[in-house]
Amino acid sequence: MPPIIEAHDLTKTYDLGGKRVDALRGVTLSVGAGEFVALMGPSGSGKSTLLQLLGGLDRPSGGSVVFEGRDISRLSDGEATKLRRERTGFVFQAFNLIPLLDVRENIGLPFTIAGHDANRGELKERVRQAIELVELTGKEKHRPDQLSTGEQQRVAVARALVTRPSVLLADEPTGNLDYTTGGDLLHSLWRSCDHDGQTIVLVTHDARAAAYADRVLVIGGGAIREEIVLGRRIDHSATVLIARLAQIGL
Amino acid sequence: MGIDRLAWRAVLARPLRSLLTIIGIALGVGVLSASLTLSAALDASVERTVHDIVGRADLRVSAFLDAGLSDTAVQTIRRTDGVATVAPVIQHRTFLASTPGGGATNAVTVLGIEPLSYATIHDLVIVKGRALATPDEPAALVSETLAKQDGYQLGSDITLQGPGGEGPLKVVGIVQGFGPLGGPGRTVVVPIGLARTAFSLAGVTRIDLQLAQGATQDATTAALASRLAEPYVLASPAGIAQSLRASSADFQATAALVAAIVLFVGAFLIVNTLSMTVGERAREVGLLRAAGATRGQVGRFVFTGALVLGLLGSGLGIFTGAILALVMADSVSAATGLTATVPGIDPSGSAIAALVGVLVTIFAAIEPAVRASRISPVEALRARFDLPAVRRARVWWVGIVFVTVAFLALIAWPPAIAATGSERALAVYGVLLLATLASPFLLQPLSRLLGIPVAMVLRIEARLARLSLARDRSRTALTLGSLVIGLAMVVALGWSAQAARASAFAWLNDVVPGDELVSSIRPIAADEGIQPILAQVPGVATVTPIASFDIAYQGFRLDAAAIVGADVLADGRLTAVAGDRRAALLALDSGGSTIVPTAVATRLGLHVGDTMRLALAGGEHLDLTVAAVVDRSIPGPGGEAVLVGWKDATDHLGVTGADSFAVRFQPGAGPTARQALADTAKTYALEANPIERIQGAVADALARVFSVFDALAIVAVLVAALGIVNTLTMSVVERIRELGLLRAIGMSRRQAMRMVIVEAGVLGSVGVVLGSLTGLGVGALLLALGRGLGPAAGFPWVPIEFAAALGLILPVVAAIYPSRMAARVSIVDALEFE
Repeated sequence: MPPIIEAHDLTKTYDLGGKRVDALRGVTLSVGAGEFVALMGPSGSGKSTLLQLLGGLDRPSGGSVVFEGRDISRLSDGEATKLRRERTGFVFQAFNLIPLLDVRENIGLPFTIAGHDANRGELKERVRQAIELVELTGKEKHRPDQLSTGEQQRVAVARALVTRPSVLLADEPTGNLDYTTGGDLLHSLWRSCDHDGQTIVLVTHDARAAAYADRVLVIGGGAIREEIVLGRRIDHSATVLIARLAQIGL
Repeated sequence: MGIDRLAWRAVLARPLRSLLTIIGIALGVGVLSASLTLSAALDASVERTVHDIVGRADLRVSAFLDAGLSDTAVQTIRRTDGVATVAPVIQHRTFLASTPGGGATNAVTVLGIEPLSYATIHDLVIVKGRALATPDEPAALVSETLAKQDGYQLGSDITLQGPGGEGPLKVVGIVQGFGPLGGPGRTVVVPIGLARTAFSLAGVTRIDLQLAQGATQDATTAALASRLAEPYVLASPAGIAQSLRASSADFQATAALVAAIVLFVGAFLIVNTLSMTVGERAREVGLLRAAGATRGQVGRFVFTGALVLGLLGSGLGIFTGAILALVMADSVSAATGLTATVPGIDPSGSAIAALVGVLVTIFAAIEPAVRASRISPVEALRARFDLPAVRRARVWWVGIVFVTVAFLALIAWPPAIAATGSERALAVYGVLLLATLASPFLLQPLSRLLGIPVAMVLRIEARLARLSLARDRSRTALTLGSLVIGLAMVVALGWSAQAARASAFAWLNDVVPGDELVSSIRPIAADEGIQPILAQVPGVATVTPIASFDIAYQGFRLDAAAIVGADVLADGRLTAVAGDRRAALLALDSGGSTIVPTAVATRLGLHVGDTMRLALAGGEHLDLTVAAVVDRSIPGPGGEAVLVGWKDATDHLGVTGADSFAVRFQPGAGPTARQALADTAKTYALEANPIERIQGAVADALARVFSVFDALAIVAVLVAALGIVNTLTMSVVERIRELGLLRAIGMSRRQAMRMVIVEAGVLGSVGVVLGSLTGLGVGALLLALGRGLGPAAGFPWVPIEFAAALGLILPVVAAIYPSRMAARVSIVDALEFE
């Protein structure tokens, strides 16, 4: 698989009230097109920071991020906005939806922000397909507060996928969901990867979620401590992964 | 840490919001304080003026005729029952022979007094030298102003020019300041006997008198009326004060009304701010409750915060008020004709305004405090606690605050003008309250409608902005309400000014039978032949003479004008509201008839067919029959003139000639004709004034009055703008996560900025529509109650355009800071990854 994102010696330092904190200390990685990669690690390990840098949400303190062959670590704000709008899709743990917009409007939001009418022609069809993908047909007019937490996250996934981004970046998307709902959501993500070749980078501290990935990168202390290759599997059993994690003391 | 310190920290935690609220309160208190200070200054000016005019006199009898009141009249008054002291004076304008240095000199006013009796009633403060000793001593006093201007010193010689002029008088004393008559201050005080001789006068100008113990003004007035045969005009200190107050009452009433409205807007800001604070602090409040704080302590937390804001705002408001009062003093003096001397910080006005400010703040805090105390600790600490429900200000509470402020404003209503305009104020408050309560219901449909043009260009920004406005309707309604009120006042006051101007213009057009008034500084007799000369100027169609003079009727001095009835009839001027216009105008020329304006007819209870008995010299009188009552009449110095024919004016009323000619040009006569008239007029020492120029002077005078009100109304809009900054900032803070999300999925900084600006723009445009409609309602009410609502008032396009500009620009300016804040949202921080 040709690489779609590459990170080279990535560092990120925060200044917290005069105290310097190194969130990342020289991370190098590569994500191939159509690959499902999970970033795992305990709280404060730097996995979310790494995701932000890979998606162009933040700038690294050192090193570089190459996205589709282009260094995005020094992009201007406008260029970074364009990248997020056109090439990446994000799903977060919470605060994923605009409460004032209904399901269809939330999903079509990236198009609307780009100045397109999401209710016409091909875009309308893409929104419909995205709704179908996350199995929310019939609930297009519902507002977020009229949906369950799981449904809300599925809307977020649909919104992230509707632009057909090169990479979907998800940060603890199942963190607020119960066992069954979380499973459904992960299955949706996996299906988009397996069926449509969608590249996914998932941040999680849950081995069961990470078990959906082809490859798991274990982050600790701001660096990649371990790479666990699981391969593409129809069954998403976490047994092998948990065993490996236990071996490295996680 | 005590609850009070926590409240203080809550105020400091949001410095911008606290500062804006303090400024809002300060502006409200400042405008109220300035209004009260100016009102007190005007009252003091009235008292001072009355004292300057009549001193300790109980009544003043003034001669109606130039010849003055005869010695017989003086003796009659002296012997009238109830009169204790009589101080006759002669007042005469003249020139002095030369200055002490021998130079030319400007005119002076000579005051002839009886030293003893005058001193009983008036204070004559001598700063150098001594007072006059006897009624015929060849000595003079000069005012400090005159002494300074012309170089007089003690011992200087002073020579009065007059028909009976005698040798020079010695200056024996200098009188403080402008002297006993105020005004320009060029005053010479001499013994009354010398003044009489110098000017060859038979009578005195006026007599100030003090009543004996137990005597009443009414009884003495009646006794004088039955005994005095000569025409005179009677005035009392109370009457003079009343007429002086009447000249400023409307101004004071309107200023007080606008001040109260600024305070309303300030109150809205306070309610909104405190509601936002309660919402923001809901979790902390829950925590406090969980930790054992009582409901009372939580309430105190909110009240203390309010008190801090109220005290700081009111304190700042006192200084703001002092500065505003100083800035406005000149305009107020120009508008009312009274000298408003502002004493820096006026203790009573400032104290009342500050007290009202603190009370309004505390009152506005009641509902948020109660709401805070009701927050359930369990609910507040839940992860998915519904903050907006706690944050939401209650619009009904604003209604109550509004009514309370109205009540306080009526209590603080300047006592001197209590009778004027309090009903008008109540009616205006009512309309504004209705508009405020209706705003939440009209917000949604109007923002949808007005957002359409923006949505065509900025789809997502307009959609999100509109939804954001609807997120917390109560808060938006409060912000909108204050903007609506401010803009409504701009429209209403602008309309009032427009109507007043139109009414003044219509008045002149309705009554003056010409396009220009050619005026003279001396009466021009008919046999001088000036009228035919003017009539022969190419382009001139008609010329008609007008004379202005005074008449005495039932002890009142009235403005009168002599006109040629046939000319006015032919020119189509004057509108009769009672009686036959044509017959009445022709009757003027025949003599024995008069036409009175509605204002005079109403004041004196005159009707068509009544007889006006005018007092003439030597105990004579002239009876004139009221032939018609007209809507408006020719303006005189003190009001609208009673119209008489030239025959009566010259035969009986002492008129010797015209002091102006109304000139009508032929249709199509252009600037050449006007220039020719001006040139001819100049040849005869006359001045040609186009009606437009007179209208311009009227417009300038009105502009001076209304500029003060406009400034106050704009302060209300500024306070509303502060509220918009607060609301939009809060709105951005609340939406930080949403903004982070939007930025994460591709919204640019510029789009985020535009979204907030569009939000302000939509709010502003809804404010403009509702403010204009409300302003039309308030304006119609003000005009209807002031009887100024008519076709002449026109539609207030210009005030609405001005309000629209203010209502659209100010909110957008107010949105700059919050929009930049929105644009700078850090995606990472907003979404709080780890």
